[in-house]
Amino acid sequence: MSSETTYRPDADPIPSAARPAATPAPFPPTWALKVTMAVTGSIFVAFILFHLAGNLKVYIGAEDFNHYAEWLRHLLNPLIPGSGFLWAFRAVMAISLVLHVYSGITLWVRARRARGAHARRFLVRRLGSRTMIWTGLIVLCFIVFHILDLTVGKIVAAPGFAPDDAYSNLIHSFERPAVALFYGLTMALIAVHISHGIWSVVNDLGGTGTRLRAVVFALAGAIAVVVAVANLSIPIAVQLGFLTVG
Amino acid sequence: MRLILEVWRQASPQAQGHFEPYEIADAREEMSLLELLDRLNHQLIEANQDPVAFESDCREGICGTCGIDVNGTPHGPEDNVPACGQHVRSFHDGDTVRIEPFRAAGFTIIRDLIVDRTGLDRIIQAGGTVAVDAGTAMDADSVLVTHEQSEQALDFAACIGCGACVSACPNGAAYLFTGAKLKHLSLMPHGRMERGKRAVSMVAQMEHEFGPCSQIGECALACPAGVPLSAIATVNAERLRAMLRHRDN
Repeated sequence: MSSETTYRPDADPIPSAARPAATPAPFPPTWALKVTMAVTGSIFVAFILFHLAGNLKVYIGAEDFNHYAEWLRHLLNPLIPGSGFLWAFRAVMAISLVLHVYSGITLWVRARRARGAHARRFLVRRLGSRTMIWTGLIVLCFIVFHILDLTVGKIVAAPGFAPDDAYSNLIHSFERPAVALFYGLTMALIAVHISHGIWSVVNDLGGTGTRLRAVVFALAGAIAVVVAVANLSIPIAVQLGFLTVG
Repeated sequence: MRLILEVWRQASPQAQGHFEPYEIADAREEMSLLELLDRLNHQLIEANQDPVAFESDCREGICGTCGIDVNGTPHGPEDNVPACGQHVRSFHDGDTVRIEPFRAAGFTIIRDLIVDRTGLDRIIQAGGTVAVDAGTAMDADSVLVTHEQSEQALDFAACIGCGACVSACPNGAAYLFTGAKLKHLSLMPHGRMERGKRAVSMVAQMEHEFGPCSQIGECALACPAGVPLSAIATVNAERLRAMLRHRDN
């Protein structure tokens, strides 16, 4: 037994039907990519939950929301001066995103190769598992849009973007029906994506216990629904006129 | 009962395969799917045609030799039953039943319904064994195993290596197969000696020829031995354990 597996590990005469694996071992290893996806994906889910908590402050009022936005920029002051923490955090997110997307696409390509020429009929109706690559790529586009819209304030941002007035930027952006619709649809896709993603984390990190698996399975669905419904409520509230500037 | 069988015919690994329709006029409900193929082959031999090549051995669900996709489902319409235990009564008079070999890039078609499943053998060769002296049997009670542990190990040792999990998987992954063996041997005192080495070796070999797991769950539905889905998590659990411990055991 050895990790050098290109050849048969024992010296028995090779049966005529048996041949050494023709394909080289994939690099990076599949299991490492899966673990990378699980770890970075968990970071994103934690981020989404914190982000959601921040989003919901929009219902408290403009002052509170803007105060929170300002607080984020100076997080951990004076231990870490200025926006140091914010930029360190952004760096972690960016690296995680690159690793997550790279691993996801690599695994998808490997999966398509290993499937062979014939399509499979699906018995299990786990929507998420088949659509991870597509929901993931759409969410990636959404992230770019979202940062341009509400962080940078360029290209796709609503007119009158003000760096210090996060509340007004948000309301003005969601007052555009097409943007509200796009946010809404993306929230539904994120829900599909993370419901399967969280369930995958327990598998990829090797959770084999019956109770653990049942709990995470239920939790995955619950988190997905909470994230989708709570986030969706904001563009809907803006469109219906419950949330306005001033 | 009259059934139309659409059977995959392919003369050699290199040949182009196709579905060939055959009519079975006298199928009976109590026939297994393999007996249905036997009936078809009798018909073909009587008509001086080439019989359909398919594998079977024990025909009682313990050997793992039989394996066909039936209407796109490994082994047949019933969950967790091998092809030999699937019966014609699952179909209705006049139904068209599509029978093809197990599908995966890791399974080359040798002829008709026979595929090369030695990729699975190579995973076992990479570490699905225990290094113990084979000689006089040792005293039965010299290594103690709890009842619970032996039962759990048996659940995973139940894998018959048929390859249905790979064929069911849209990713052509062999996680259920590999995980079952890793789990089984990790629960036994003899197997535990090489637990780390085994995980590294078997997972690497698995990745040579089979795809990544997406936690879809088709494999556990198809598995005729009823290996639980948690086996797929065992693969990464054992591999991570080996990475963190860096020991042979």
